[in-house]
Amino acid sequence: MTRIALTSAWVRKRRLVGACLAVFLGVSFLSGTLVLGQTLQRNFDSLFADANAGTDAVVRSATKIDTRMDFQRGPIDTATVARVRAVDGVASVAPYVEGYGQLLDKHGDGIGGSGPPRVAASWIADPRLNAYRLVQGRAPHAAGEVVVNRGAAKSGKLALGDTTVLETPRPTRVKIVGIATFGSADGFGETTYTAFDLPAAQRLVLGATDRVSSIRVKAAAGVTQDELAARLNRVLPTGVQAITGTQLTKENNDDINGQFLGSLRAFLLVFAGIALLVGAFSIYNTLSILAAQRTRESALLRALGASRTQLLGALLAESLLVGLVASVAGLFGGVAIAELLKALFDAFGGGLPAGGLAFTPGIAIIAIVVGTLVTAVAGVAPARKASRVPPIAALRDVATEATTTSRRRRLLGGGLAAVGVLAVLLAALTQGGGAVTIAAVGAVLTLAGMIVCGPLAARPASTVLGAPLPRLSGMAGTLARDNARRNPRRTAATAAALMVGVGVVSLFTVFAGSLKASIQDSVGRSFAGDLAITTPGWGGGALDPQVAARVGALPQVAAAVGLGEGAARVGGSSRRLTIADPAQLARVVDLGVRAGAIGQLGDRQLALSEKLARAHGWHLGSRLPVGFADRTTSPFTVAALYDNDRIAGDVLVSRGAWAPHAVQDLDSVVFVRVAGGVATRAAETAVRGITRGAGNPDVKTRQQYVASSAGGINALLGIVYVLLLLAIVIALMGIANTLALSIHERTRELGLLRAVGATRRQLRSMIRGESLVIAVFGTVGGVALGVFLGWGLVRAAADSAQTDVFTAPIGQLAGVLVVGAVVGVLASLRPARRAARLDVLRAIAAE
Amino acid sequence: MAPDRVSAMSYELSDGARQRRSPNTNIAASAHDAVKVYGAGENAVRALDGVTVDFEQGRFTAIMGPSGSGKSTLMQCVAGLDQLTSGRVLVGERDLSELSDRALTLLRRDEIGFVFQSFNLLPTLSAAENITLPLALAGRRPDGAWLDQVVTTLGLADRLSHRPTELSGGQQQRVAVARALVARPQLMFADEPTGNLDSRAGGEILAFLRRAVRELDQTVVMVTHDPLAASYADRVLFLADGRLVDELSDPEPERILDRLKTLTEGVAP
Repeated sequence: MTRIALTSAWVRKRRLVGACLAVFLGVSFLSGTLVLGQTLQRNFDSLFADANAGTDAVVRSATKIDTRMDFQRGPIDTATVARVRAVDGVASVAPYVEGYGQLLDKHGDGIGGSGPPRVAASWIADPRLNAYRLVQGRAPHAAGEVVVNRGAAKSGKLALGDTTVLETPRPTRVKIVGIATFGSADGFGETTYTAFDLPAAQRLVLGATDRVSSIRVKAAAGVTQDELAARLNRVLPTGVQAITGTQLTKENNDDINGQFLGSLRAFLLVFAGIALLVGAFSIYNTLSILAAQRTRESALLRALGASRTQLLGALLAESLLVGLVASVAGLFGGVAIAELLKALFDAFGGGLPAGGLAFTPGIAIIAIVVGTLVTAVAGVAPARKASRVPPIAALRDVATEATTTSRRRRLLGGGLAAVGVLAVLLAALTQGGGAVTIAAVGAVLTLAGMIVCGPLAARPASTVLGAPLPRLSGMAGTLARDNARRNPRRTAATAAALMVGVGVVSLFTVFAGSLKASIQDSVGRSFAGDLAITTPGWGGGALDPQVAARVGALPQVAAAVGLGEGAARVGGSSRRLTIADPAQLARVVDLGVRAGAIGQLGDRQLALSEKLARAHGWHLGSRLPVGFADRTTSPFTVAALYDNDRIAGDVLVSRGAWAPHAVQDLDSVVFVRVAGGVATRAAETAVRGITRGAGNPDVKTRQQYVASSAGGINALLGIVYVLLLLAIVIALMGIANTLALSIHERTRELGLLRAVGATRRQLRSMIRGESLVIAVFGTVGGVALGVFLGWGLVRAAADSAQTDVFTAPIGQLAGVLVVGAVVGVLASLRPARRAARLDVLRAIAAE
Repeated sequence: MAPDRVSAMSYELSDGARQRRSPNTNIAASAHDAVKVYGAGENAVRALDGVTVDFEQGRFTAIMGPSGSGKSTLMQCVAGLDQLTSGRVLVGERDLSELSDRALTLLRRDEIGFVFQSFNLLPTLSAAENITLPLALAGRRPDGAWLDQVVTTLGLADRLSHRPTELSGGQQQRVAVARALVARPQLMFADEPTGNLDSRAGGEILAFLRRAVRELDQTVVMVTHDPLAASYADRVLFLADGRLVDELSDPEPERILDRLKTLTEGVAP
C-alpha cells in the first residue's frame, strides 16, 4: 500500500513540486537561522578562547553593575599586583588596563563601525598573556606611542610611524610604533584596538596610575587553573576576585549570548516560524487539491479492498515523503540563507566576526524533523478526508469540489475570533501590567479564528473584490470572479498564506510607525534646544565632556548640556543612569518635572522618572542607597520626579555625583540652545568649528535630531521587511501552485472556452483575474488584521513601551496592498501561460 | 454569408433531387483532399487519407464509420479545432490553413457552434449564462428575439437560472445546443451529442437538431456511431480508414445499418 502511495507520488511529482517548494523555503529559513546562530556562537567562542588562551587566571574587581544593555566593573588597586606576584605557582603577571578609546583617521573621522567596541588598552609584554601579536614595529615604550590592530590601521589608512589622534575621550596625539594582529586575524572581530604602555594607559583610560582594570596571571608548570585561582583568592583583599581563564571565556560567551546572540537568534526564529506557518498553508492546500483530484483513484482502491486505514496510511506516507525530500533540500538552501543573512547584517552595520559557516548534525536533525513534521501535520486533514471517500465514488462521475461550509466551522472560527478580539480590546483599554501578553494571546486567537472563518468570508469577499472585473475585462472577468467564488475553502486557504505574511508585515509597520511617532513626539516635546551633537546610535559612541563646555562658551550659544550614561545599583537593582549638569539641562530640555526641581540637583541627590518611582513606591525625599562600580555606596535623596524618560531615562544624577566613581567620563549627546538673535545656521557653523577637532560627531538641527531620534527603528524595520519578504514569496508560490492545480482540474472547461471562442488573451485575463481576487482577499484581510492587532499592541504597550501615539502609516500600508496585488499578478503568470497554451482538442477530451 | 451568394466550387450531390426542400446550392464548408497524419515515421497513422467533401448550407449531415475511421478527425479539422497535414478546409470562402490561432478562435466564436458528447458546460455559470457565453466572450449582446426563440424551442424557459448541476443530462445537452445556436453560426458541429443520454432525451436532442435545420435554416454536421441518430440527418457520410467510402441521402435506420455492415465486412478480410 505504501508502495502504491510512493509510486503515485512519483507519477505526480510535478504537481507536488509546489508543495515541496513551500517546505523547502521554510526549512531553508529555519536551518539558515540555526546555522547563522551556530556560526556566530562558534566564532565568538573561538575569539574569546583565543583572547584568553594563555591566561590561567584573571584578578579583577568582584563588583559588577549589570544592566540589561551592558555592564561595568570597577578598577582595582595597583598594589594588588605585588600581592599576586608573591603567590606561589605564579609564573607571570600582567597588569592590564582596558577602556574606551576612539581612534581617528587622518581626516579626524572615527575608525570602526557603530557596533563593535573601540578599545584603548595597555600593551602586555608577555606574549603568553597577550592575544595580540606584533607583526610590524615594536611595543610602545613612552607616552604617546601606541600599537594598533591591523584591521583598524587598514580601515583608517594608517601606517607605521603615522601620527593621529585617540579620544579617551579627551583627544591625545599618538604615534603608531607597532601594528598587531589578533592571533593571525586582523583584529578581534571588528573591534579597534589601541594599546599604550601601562602608565600611559592608566593615566588616559583610568585617570590614575594607582589603578588597573585587571591582572592577567600565568601559572607555573604543574599548577592547574583551578589551583591557581584558589591560591590567589586566599590572598586577595575583599572586593577583588580571581577566576580561571576557562571561567573567563565562559563568562564572555554568556555575556555575548545574553546581550546579543540570544535575542538575535530568537528574533530570527520568529521569522522562520512565520515562514513555516505560511508554508504549512501552501502544503495543506496542495495536498487537499491533490486528494480531491484523486477521489476516483482512492475510491477505486477502496472498491478493490483497501481499508480506510491503509488508504490514510498511504496518503500520510506520501506527505511524509514530500516533507522529507523537501526538508533535506531545504537544509542546503539553509546554508545559502545563512550566507545571505550574514551579508544582510553586515549591510546594516552589525560587524559580525568573520569565519566559515558552522553546520552541526544537530541543526540537520532539527530542520529535517521540523520540516517533515510540519508537512505531515498539514497533510493529516486532506488525507483523512480522502480516506473517507465511499468506494462507490469510483463508479460515479464525482464532483471534486465541496462548496459547503459547516456549522461547526462557523461556531469554532467565530468563537476563536470573538475571544481573540475581546482579549485585544481588553488589553488595549486596560494597558496595565501583562496587557501586552494578553494582547499577544488575543492576536494569535484572532488569527486562528480568521483562518478558520476564511472559507465563510471567501465567497462574499470574492464577490465584492471581483465586482469590478466584469466591467474591466468582460466575460473573462466574470469567469474569474466566479472561479474565485466557486471553491471558498480553496480560495481561503490560498489567501490565508498571504494573509499571515501580510498581517505580520502590517503589524510591524503599524507598531514601528507608532513607536517612531511616539519617540519623536516625546523627544520633540521635551527637547527645547536648537542643535544636538550626537555620535552613532548603536554601541555607544562617546564625546569628550569638554565639547559641551567649549560649545557652551561660544558667544552664539546660550546653553549647552552634555548627557552621559552610567550604571549603578539604585535601591537594590542595577540601573542605567543619565548624567548631566542639572542647571544647564533644565535650560535645554523640558523633562516635565512633576515634583521637586532639577536645576539644583546636588551631589547626593537624584531625580527619578515618575514611572519608576511609582513602581517602587518611592517619592520626593525618599532616601535610596546608590552603589557604584568602585564599591562605594552612598545614600541619595530623591529631589525631583519627571515625566519624560525618553531623553533622561529612569534615573538622572548630576555630573558632580557621578564623576568620582566614573572610570571614563563620557557624553553620548550634547544639546545646544542658540543665543537669542543668532541664526541657527550661524550657530551651527560655530559649533562645527569645535566638533571638527573632536572626532567629527554629527551636528543636527532640532528637526533632524527629532527625526533621527527613532532612526534605529527604520533600520530594524528594513531587516524585518527583508525577512518577511520570504513569507510573501512562499505565499506567492502557494497561489501559483493552487492556480496551476485548479487549471489542471479545469482542463476541460478551459478547452471548452477555447472551443467556443475564448481567445488566449481572454483565458490569461481570466486566470489573472482569479489570482488577483485571491491575492487581494488575502492582502486586505492581512492588512485589516495587522492594523487592528497593531492598534491593540500599541495601546496595550502604551505603559510599558510608551507607545502613546498610534499611527497607521497610510503610505506604507497602501504599498503593502499594492505588493499584494502585484503578488497576485505574478503568481498567475505561469499558470495563465500554461492555460492559454492548452491543446483545445485534448482539453475537451480530458477526463 | 449572404444566402444568395453561389459558391463557384463544384460539388457532388448524388441524391440532391430527393431533397424535400428546394436545393440550396451554397456550400457552408468543404474539405479538399484532406490528409491528417498523426505521429511520424513508422508509427505514422493516416487518420484522414484524402477526403474531399462539401457540407451544404441548410442541411443536416451525419458522419459515420467504425472507430478509427477518421470521422471525429474530419469534424475537428473542418471545425477549426485541428489543423490538416495537407489539403484544404474552407469555411465559407476562408481557407482555415491560412488563419492564425486568433483568427481561428474568432471564427469558432462567431461562425461555428459546438455540441459535445459530454455537454461541457461551465459549472459556475447559470444555464442562461452558459447559453450566451460565446456572445459574452465576443462582448456582444444577444439578439433577444432569437434567444427567446431558441430557448422556447428547446423548452428551457423555466430552467434559465439553474446551474448545470441542477439540470438533468438531457437538459444540459439542450443548454449546450442553445449555446451552439445563439450566435447564429454558419455551421454547427455535434460530436456524439446523444452518447451520454438515454434514448428519450437523445431523441429530443436529435429532433431539435433537425428542427434547427428545417425551421431555423441552420447547417448541422454530426458525428455519431448510432444508426438511429444518423437517421435524423438529410445525408449520411460513411468513412473507413480515413477515406470517404459511401453516402446516403434521407436515410432510414435499416439502410444505414446495412451499409455499416457491408463497411465492416469490407474492412475485415
